[in-house]
Amino acid sequence: MNFLQKGWNDLRSEPISTIAQWQHGRFLWLLMAGMSLFMVILAHSVFQHWLYMKPCEQCVYIRFAFFAMVLGGILVAINPKNVVLRVLGYIFAIYGCIRGLLWSVKLNKIHFVAHSDDPFGVQGCSTEPTFPFGLPLDRWAPDWFKPTGDCGFDNPIVPDGAVLSGMQQWLVDFYRDGWYLWPPSHFMNMAQCTAILFGLVLLVLTVCAAAWIMNSIRNREQAAETRICNAPQ
Amino acid sequence: MKRKLLQALTTAIALVAVFAGSGLAFTEGKDYQLLEKPIPNAENTLIKVFSYDCPFCYKYDKAVTPKVVPQLPADVTFRPFHLKTKGKYGEFGTKLFAVLLAKDQANGLSDKELYGDKSLLKKAKMAYYEAYHDKKERWDAGEEAFLKTGLDAVGMSKAEFEEGLKDPQAQALIAEWDASYDVAKVQGIPGFVVNGKYLIITKSIKSVDGMLQLINELLKK
Repeated sequence: MNFLQKGWNDLRSEPISTIAQWQHGRFLWLLMAGMSLFMVILAHSVFQHWLYMKPCEQCVYIRFAFFAMVLGGILVAINPKNVVLRVLGYIFAIYGCIRGLLWSVKLNKIHFVAHSDDPFGVQGCSTEPTFPFGLPLDRWAPDWFKPTGDCGFDNPIVPDGAVLSGMQQWLVDFYRDGWYLWPPSHFMNMAQCTAILFGLVLLVLTVCAAAWIMNSIRNREQAAETRICNAPQ
Repeated sequence: MKRKLLQALTTAIALVAVFAGSGLAFTEGKDYQLLEKPIPNAENTLIKVFSYDCPFCYKYDKAVTPKVVPQLPADVTFRPFHLKTKGKYGEFGTKLFAVLLAKDQANGLSDKELYGDKSLLKKAKMAYYEAYHDKKERWDAGEEAFLKTGLDAVGMSKAEFEEGLKDPQAQALIAEWDASYDVAKVQGIPGFVVNGKYLIITKSIKSVDGMLQLINELLKK
């Protein structure tokens, strides 16, 4: 409680240096990496494997974006005070957020067109994925990166003869119309949820990076002033 | 000073007007692109690359292509190509659709009638679309189950189908449909190709009329 109180007070009185200070710790970086990894594992192990909801082309790209954020977070967490690692970490994480956001927006557009009678204005999924930098991820780890579903349709498709547990059956029925944050009313599809998530992390990253840069400039100026003051008259 | 500003503004407005006026023309890279590997022997054709396992192919075959194809110029041939590399039963789909298209042709159906009720190809294709996309059928029982869906839709027996596969025309179609893959990998499917070399960029299609205008312009190129 005291810890939180202190953090809040620091943030109010000295926002820039407090935010700049936070990134010297591992916690926020590991939080970002952990959350991103959790999202991919949730999608792969729970929805894809356990509930038979196949990933589409845009969906595997979104996984790639989350992995860029995992990598960025881990890089900084190796040594948060190391400037080179931190710059690299920022590049990976911000790259992941921006690409992830764009892919989510595209998937959301496809989702709406796919569920309407007007087919115009979007491209369906490609037959094979092309990852950034020509990475053949779908060949290296097909289970994670090979699209097997259709864009805009993430309904569970249970193979004939599969025996489902009670919980599994309930969830398969719950997500019958596809993945939604609240399936009964089709509230927020997967693309909208990931778009919000990427957007939020991007915002936090931008604020942190800005605070870091501003704080460094201020420290340098202060150091210069001290030197001038201490210089012999 | 003020006059200069005004002048600049009028120039800008005039420029915008000029560009807006030319907005009707179609541009390479935005509306269509040149295929790296053109499809041979495809002068005066509209080729459609599709798969039963493709939601947007279903959407286009429900709402767009049936309106576009009958309005194509009389000397232009419409040629559907089924992509065998997509979907678990892509190869079987290709074989059956080739047999049925050869039968449609032998029955005297023109390419413009492939969306009419007499077309066996259309009957089987719609049956697969409905089974796969509407009923979420995945034919886990195997290829026999897959073939049955199409054969039942056109009232054909397995033996008749196998006989039909021996028809040289069906074999020729299967061979020429191999060109589908190079088209499909550019932007996915459905893929529409004019004269074997101009691939329409699907997401820039805004309406049936717009698509026809673009096809007609590319045919003249």
